[in-house]
Amino acid sequence: MAQIKFKVNGKSTSVRVDPDTPLLWVLRDHLQLTGTKYSCGMGICGCCTVHLDGKATRSCITPVSAVAGKAVTTIEGLGKEGLHPLQKAWIDDDVPQCGYCQPGQIMTAAELLAEHPNPTDEEIDTAMDGALCRCGTYQRIRNAIHKAAKEL
Amino acid sequence: MKIHQPYGLEDCLTLLSELPPDATVILAGGTDLMPRYEQGRILPNNLINIKHLTELQGITETENGIEIGGLTTIEALQHSDLIRQEYPALWRSTAQFAGVQIRNRATLAGNIANASPAGDTLPSLYLYHAKLKLVSRHASRTTRLEDFLVGPGQTTQEPGELIQSIILPKVSGSSCFYKLGLRDAMAISVVNYALRYSNAEDGELTDLEITAGAVAPTIVFLDALTTAILGGETNIAAWQALIEQDIAPIDDIRASADYRRKVLGRLISHHLQRLGVGSHE
Repeated sequence: MAQIKFKVNGKSTSVRVDPDTPLLWVLRDHLQLTGTKYSCGMGICGCCTVHLDGKATRSCITPVSAVAGKAVTTIEGLGKEGLHPLQKAWIDDDVPQCGYCQPGQIMTAAELLAEHPNPTDEEIDTAMDGALCRCGTYQRIRNAIHKAAKEL
Repeated sequence: MKIHQPYGLEDCLTLLSELPPDATVILAGGTDLMPRYEQGRILPNNLINIKHLTELQGITETENGIEIGGLTTIEALQHSDLIRQEYPALWRSTAQFAGVQIRNRATLAGNIANASPAGDTLPSLYLYHAKLKLVSRHASRTTRLEDFLVGPGQTTQEPGELIQSIILPKVSGSSCFYKLGLRDAMAISVVNYALRYSNAEDGELTDLEITAGAVAPTIVFLDALTTAILGGETNIAAWQALIEQDIAPIDDIRASADYRRKVLGRLISHHLQRLGVGSHE
């Protein structure tokens, strides 16, 4: 067991866990931030994507000890005042079908918009190809990213 | 299990020299190690987390080429104009590497130390004749990448050693990388290859090197093919046999050995035809 300190959604936090615990389980089980989803657990599907110092990162394969002293942002903390423009666009366009992968989709898209405020279709496809959706909502995801880009 | 967080490179090398090598694993980006760990396929007593060591990050231009810190991320290489302009095959391989969440954490030294036959950066690094700078507590050495990788998951890394940097000499001519996966996103290579060539003013090929991945225990140079082509062999049917001399693919969940042999031959033949060499006669 180790005491590990880091920031989650702007607030300092400290957890006492085994240092090899994946960040995902610390978020979900210790901090009750269940917006971040578990899916493949092997760094393939992108459902568990959070931001680590602003960079899209897979929380299921990131040991919590690698996060010490860093800042984590989850879907719960993405909107600074109310919902993030991506979340609004997602609701306006009814992007989700089953919805399970969507927190990871939105977190991946949020890093893209932070780097490319007005992305092309190709830039969206490249940035989003590590976030899989079994319902196949990719067209709606792309449209919603364009819509959110206009709001930002 | 204990996770160690060294303060700096020196501290890290001391740890590496003191902990039992059989029970100690280095953790860089963790994008391959953590899934294996979660599945119980690797259970070390000690993990040394080195991801935060800034001494091992970044790309430096040198007199003879470039030096890439071992912990430079795949995404950092993807964003580097220097890599894009001077080492386009490596740049292309980083563009086709997994997804952005993996590229943000995965490191170049990690992709090398992992020693996967299908490692996406490896054909390009072979093509550019990469060397590795390895450091340990009391010594350092430089080795050719092709001497470092000896088989799937097997390297000549000595206990206590860490990959400090990857050295790429200056290159001439044009180069590129191609990856065949079963889909565009998040795919592991079925086959991949990197190719470099130079032309004389009249368009004739004066220099040609091709490396191929996922078709042998380590990356291979297709020397039989390139020597024959530079010697004037233009028959595409003959090329296939020459390619097969240098590869030894296996059947796995992604493709059969037979498919790998055929598809690598077709891809490279098409590529060379686009460069204006080869005929079916």
